[in-house]
This record gives sequence, structure tokens and C-alpha cells, in this order.
Amino acid sequence: MLKINNLTVFYENAIALNDLSLEIGKGEVVGVFGSNSAGKTTLMNTVAGLTLHMKHREQRKGGERITIIGELNFEGENIIDTKPSYRVKKGIVLCRERHPVFRDCSVQENLKLGGYLRKDSNLGESIEFVYKLFPNLKRLSLKKAGMLSGGEQEMLTIGMALVAQPKLILMDEPLLGLSPLMQEEVVRAVREISKQGVTILLSEQYARPIMPIVDRGYVIENGTQIVSGTGEELMDNPEVKAAYFGM
Amino acid sequence: MIETVLIYGLVNSVTLILTAIGFSLTFGLSGIANFSHGGLYILSGYSAWMMMHYIGLPFALAAVLTVIQVGILGGLIYRAVIMPVRGIVLSEVVATFAVGVAILEFFRWRGFVTYDFNLPLFIKGSIGIAGVFIDYQRLFIIGIGLMLAVILWFFTHHTRIGLALRGMAQDEYTALSLGIESDWAATLSMALGAALAAVAAIIILPLGIISINMGYDVLLLALAVTILGGLESTNGLIVGCFILGYARVITGTYLGPEWMEVIYLAAIVLVLVVKPSGLCGKSKELEERV
Repeated sequence: MLKINNLTVFYENAIALNDLSLEIGKGEVVGVFGSNSAGKTTLMNTVAGLTLHMKHREQRKGGERITIIGELNFEGENIIDTKPSYRVKKGIVLCRERHPVFRDCSVQENLKLGGYLRKDSNLGESIEFVYKLFPNLKRLSLKKAGMLSGGEQEMLTIGMALVAQPKLILMDEPLLGLSPLMQEEVVRAVREISKQGVTILLSEQYARPIMPIVDRGYVIENGTQIVSGTGEELMDNPEVKAAYFGM
Repeated sequence: MIETVLIYGLVNSVTLILTAIGFSLTFGLSGIANFSHGGLYILSGYSAWMMMHYIGLPFALAAVLTVIQVGILGGLIYRAVIMPVRGIVLSEVVATFAVGVAILEFFRWRGFVTYDFNLPLFIKGSIGIAGVFIDYQRLFIIGIGLMLAVILWFFTHHTRIGLALRGMAQDEYTALSLGIESDWAATLSMALGAALAAVAAIIILPLGIISINMGYDVLLLALAVTILGGLESTNGLIVGCFILGYARVITGTYLGPEWMEVIYLAAIVLVLVVKPSGLCGKSKELEERV
């Protein structure tokens, strides 16, 4: 579904992604693991088109020079130079790290915004699906999103992405800062979403809680892939085990 | 006396809301401080006047066409002038201020400085309310102001586009990741703000003559009430307009008209000292402010 070929991203002279190549098959749950500054967020933002947007913005105002080289092949089309909105239309939706929601909008309004680009009239059905997946959100539907707890905001972030009817959801550190109970809840939701046939690419620093549901994983360091394999293969690698699984 | 204060305070407050709402809306939705607001306001007045006197259009049609035309111009100003400097706040301010000054000084250069330039009243006549005489045009201003507030609230809370504009204002990158385009949202918010400046001009300017200097006054008024109420806060804008509107009338009635302008500056200085984020504004973190 998504083939990333030799992706390189520079912020001025600092390299964030270095000749990175990954592949995500339809219906798979693929994990990208790495420590701080490994390049996980840059990878997610680049696939979603946000890095390109930043690049254009910086270019206009003569700010930081951002360079993006490589290929992002989504369903046979290279989307590296396309706008974020085009990618959302194609089915790529990003849940950004630290669950940013529209704080002054209600939960219901946030979910409606998730379906902003949808032309069909079934938005209500998608929102109901989100409420079924996260019953807490239904109870809080009229509450301002800024008043929700971190875990609830993460659920809302995922919910907004789901209303967009994605083919591929990018989840940037969905477990970051959540309690173990909330982490379990998010992992359960990811499993449920995967069952619906949605492809998932997620990144995490600490891989252990998410590992049971990941089909394949990549470990990256300084923007470069160092190891890849199935969940079991990664777990068997002693270095990876120590660094990312806390074992 | 108290009836006069109550009625004319309301008129003054709603006039302020109308004058400033376009500026505040654009800032609230896209973070652009549109300093061409006063220029667009006066341009609207002259534009309607020219359509009536050069083309012979009836006032109502000239008014509608002016609102549409100035709205489109607002969007074009974003595309041509603001977009290249988007994100550099000082450049945005300088660029929009330059556009506003260019508009105003163009009309001065073309000789639009006599007492001939005025727009007709929408409704002629006056009525006595609780012993206070008030003309229908001022009541019309109150009606349009309140109607506009309701329409804008409905638009931003219950329409897909309005919701998207609010989303973009709150978190640009989350909005982008859901497919909302930031330049499109900013263009639309500039167009809306400009159209609102035109609406204000069309219904307020008939109360007097169209004067170029009024453009600078309108910009200052818009800035004053936006700072007083709190940037990005529509509720704050309304509260700020009511406080200043009534303060002006009370001061003018009891202290004398020469004190009416002083109250503006005093209120702004007081609010900035006591609550720098404005009456209903949210205090930003230090690193966001510096």
C-alpha cells in the first residue's frame, strides 16, 4: 500500500531522515520504533504532507531550509510533492503526537471536523462507530475537548482520524504520556480498527505495550533503519530488546 | 437623562461592534491583524457612492455589490500581499497597513475630500422611545448588528466551513492533517473580514459624510476594542464594545464631549495594566508572547 523509498529529510544541515526505506502492506499494523530524535515524527509528518507544508511556509518567508528527497509511493502514485489535503483525500490520515485536539470545540465538533473532506451524508454513522469504539466520548460529546484528560484526548484524536474514513492511519506515539490503563484502551482500539481493514503505521519509543498487535516493525536511529522484522524477530534481538522493550 | 444614556449607549456599542467585528473575526480565525481594515471600510463607502452616481444603481443594489466586491478584494489582498510574508507578524502588519494607507491616500489624491460624498439613509424618520428621539437608521444599525452577531455565531458553530475555520484557528497542523487547507482558510477569513467592514460602512456611513480620515479612526477603534476585549475572543469583543460604547456616552453626557476620546485610551491602558490578555482573552505562555 505504501512504499517509502530512500526518503531523506534535512532541516537546514541537520539530517532527520537518512535514506529510509519502508514498506507497509494493505491491512498491516506496522510499528516504527526509535528513541528521541530518531526521526519518527519527521517520518509521520512527511508521509502526511506536513513537512512539505512547513517547507513551503519556510521558503516563502525565507526561514529554515527544509529538503525532502525520495519517493512516497501510495497505491502506485508518488505523493511526495502533494498537499496534505490531497493525501487525506487519498486516505492517509495522521494522528499527531501528544493528542492535539481542537481545544475550544466540543468533542462532537472535533469529530465532525474529522470528516471535513467527506462529501457523503454518512458522517453520523462514522461518529456513532467512534462512540461505540470509545463509549466515554459519547458521554463527553458536548464537553470542550480541551477539558478532557490526556487519554480521552488520544481517543478523540484517533476518533477524528477514523471519521475521515482513512485507508492508512498514521499514529505518532499514541501511548505517549498515558497511564497503563489508558494504554490498554488505546491498544484495544488499534486492534479493533485493524480488524475493520484499516492499515496502520504507528511509531513508539517504548515498544512493549504495542508489540502484541504489530505485524512487523522497524527500528530507526538517527533517521536510518537499523533493524526490521516481525514482532517476534525484534523481540529476539538482544540489543533491540534492551533498548526498546525494557527487558 | 438615563434613558438617553441607555439608548444611545446601545447604539454606540453596536456601532463599535459592527466597526470592529471584521477585524476581530479575521484575527480570530487566521491570526492576521488586517491593518487595511480602515481602508477597506472607506473604500466600501466610496465604492457604493460611485456605483450610485456614476452607474446609476439604486443604493440597495450598490450596497450588495460593494459587500461582494470588497469581500473578494479582501481575499485577493491575502493572496497577493499577505501570503508571501505569512508567519512574519511584523511584515503582515506593515503589508496590510500599506494597503490600507494606499487605498485611503488614493482617494485623497483623486479629490474625494469634499462634503459631497455621502450615502443615503436606509430608512428615513425618527421615533420617540421613553421620551428619547432616535432616528430609524440608528435602530437599523442595532438590528443589523444583532442579526450579524447571530448569523456569524451560527456560521462558525453550525456550518462545515465555519467549523473548519475555527479548527484552523485553534491548531493549524491538526487541521492540515485532516485535510483543511490553511491558505484557503486564511483567504476566506480575510474575505469575510473585508465583507464585514463593507457591511459596517454601508450602514454606518449614511449617518454622516464619508471622510478619508475616518478610515484611520476605524482602524484605531477596531484595534482598541479588540485589545480591550481580548484578541481572538468574539465574546470579548462584544463585552469590550459595550463597555466602551456606554463609557463614551456616559462621559459625553456627564463630563462633556471633549472627554469622550480620553475614555478609550484610559480603558485600554487600564486593561493592559491589569489584564494584558484583554477582558476575555486567554493569557498566553511567556514563550508564546515573546
